[in-house]
Amino acid sequence: MVFSDKMRWTTGPAWPIGLCYGLAVVSVAAALGLSLAFTHFHLPQPFGAFALSAIALTFWYAGTGPGILAAVLSSLVRDYLFDPNTSTESRLLFDLVFLVFAFLMTRVARVRNQLELRVAERTAELTELNDNLKREIFKHHQVEAELRLSEAYLAEAQRLSHTGSWAWSPSSGDIRYWSEECYRVQGFDPKGGLPRYEEFFQSVHPDDQARIAEVIERAVRGREDFEFDYRIIHPGGEIRDSRSFGHPILDPSGNLVEYVGTIIDVTDRRQAENERERLREAQTDLAHASRLTAMGELTASLAHEVNQPITAVVNGASTCIRWLTRDDPDLGEAREAASGVIRNAKRAAEIINRVRSISKKGESKRQLVDANDLIGEMIALLRNEANRYSISIRTDLDTELPKVMADSVQVQQVMMNLIMNSIDAMKEVNQTRELAIRSRREEDKCLMISVTDSGMGLPAEQEKQIFDAFFTTKPHGLGMGLRISRSIVESHGGRLWAANNSPHGACFSFTLPIPSGVPEQRSKPSDAHTNV
Amino acid sequence: MSCKKETKLVAIVDDDDSVRGTLQELLRSAGFPSRGFDSAEAFLTSGNQQETACLITDIRMPGMSGLELQARLNAERCRIPTIFITAHGDEEMRFQALRAGAVEFLPKPFDDEILIESVRAALDR
Repeated sequence: MVFSDKMRWTTGPAWPIGLCYGLAVVSVAAALGLSLAFTHFHLPQPFGAFALSAIALTFWYAGTGPGILAAVLSSLVRDYLFDPNTSTESRLLFDLVFLVFAFLMTRVARVRNQLELRVAERTAELTELNDNLKREIFKHHQVEAELRLSEAYLAEAQRLSHTGSWAWSPSSGDIRYWSEECYRVQGFDPKGGLPRYEEFFQSVHPDDQARIAEVIERAVRGREDFEFDYRIIHPGGEIRDSRSFGHPILDPSGNLVEYVGTIIDVTDRRQAENERERLREAQTDLAHASRLTAMGELTASLAHEVNQPITAVVNGASTCIRWLTRDDPDLGEAREAASGVIRNAKRAAEIINRVRSISKKGESKRQLVDANDLIGEMIALLRNEANRYSISIRTDLDTELPKVMADSVQVQQVMMNLIMNSIDAMKEVNQTRELAIRSRREEDKCLMISVTDSGMGLPAEQEKQIFDAFFTTKPHGLGMGLRISRSIVESHGGRLWAANNSPHGACFSFTLPIPSGVPEQRSKPSDAHTNV
Repeated sequence: MSCKKETKLVAIVDDDDSVRGTLQELLRSAGFPSRGFDSAEAFLTSGNQQETACLITDIRMPGMSGLELQARLNAERCRIPTIFITAHGDEEMRFQALRAGAVEFLPKPFDDEILIESVRAALDR
């Protein structure tokens, strides 16, 4: 408890001491002044009454010392100014009256001060109690608000993750707690109150009931955690996939109190996983289909390319027979012709092998490959296709290109797609038909391969859409080529983009990252201009 | 006719080295002298048109095609009996070639007897 000066136990005010004694002098002086005024107007002499008032006033407000001073002063004033001629007994009697009065006033002032002190004490106690109460209430409100907020966050988290929480007592069989999300996941009406354990079981798919009952029973027996997947049949008949976890709570002596746990609706997650799996399969199929489509487009060209060595083989064999069946057979010439047959048959086989490796469907196999070699092989394969439309192929290859980690078949598929697109773009144009393939090292990080044509250029205002699935400008196109090419390049950690070429045509470029620590290979210069 | 056939030379125009080479060998085994050219342009600039008695040409080649070569020779009033050999032959192309005066239109690979007979017929004209 804190006491101010006002609450001192002894009588006396908080004023400075001079002011207290000053009050004594002033009050007696006032009593004297009033009495003189009464005498002046010939009114009855009342100094005694005024002096008593002055003494009482001083005691009340200024304390014991000044009160006694006021009593003494009053006595002196009365003796010498108002009754100078009275007897000594009379004077003493008056002085005694003042003294007794002063004594009584001392008691009165003390009682008053004690009372004041007690009131102050009680007030202080009450104030403090009140403050404490207010603080408690405030703290309570604060905790309540925090709790509400935390509960709201928790409920939101449960809603977002489709995870409900519950508590269940195996001994009584009662569900003790069932969060809002549990109602939603299990398909119960929140207005129905806490569900009974049997109700929970009734909402489980009949095929799953026996299995999960067994899992729970075994866990309870061993006081162990449990986890199971099950299906819920919602009131509307919808079947949802769920998963539940449970954890036993034991008291200090090891007795099972209850199980707490969660139920999670995993339907959407599972569907998304299935969806993703299907998408992956579809992409693989589509990539294969697109390769096959591209192969279909190429068939005519490949037939021609294989047909050339076969024609040479037939010619050679005919020549051989002619040398042997002459009137004078020439074995030397026949042998020469026969070796030509072998050479050309091998060439035909090589072409077939090249085609087979590209049309093969398989897992991605990454190894260090020389991008220039891949370009070379693609040109060999597509030379005839370009030839068919009088397109010349120009190569501008960086001879110091480092090897890259890549699936050569996939990268060739990208190259084939870009080259076939370029050829398609130039079929209808009348200006020079030139296809340029360029390889470059881009700083230290990657290498860039670009295919430039002098065709009709990118479709106006659709430069971005060309990479979208099913976007095509070709009458029989699937619209998947660039889409798949881009996903192949991106799966290698590179980029594929398109730009218009000046003055006409388009330029498609892609990058492949250079793995760190690969020694630079120095290949022979291969800047060439081939009119195929 | 502005082309006079002084010798009986067979010209072979095909951009594929192996086809061209084996064809020359085949003709040599049959006793016909021949010269090979890897493009229509090479043949036109060789100055051998005058002495060519029979032209065997591929149709689809980079640069000038076999049909264009035939048209060019016709325009120059230099009618050389021409045998077309092609891997891409369709009926329309065949009809166009024969209408322009081709003596034969053979899909690759071809029978040597038919080719030799056609060459012989062309040289005997």
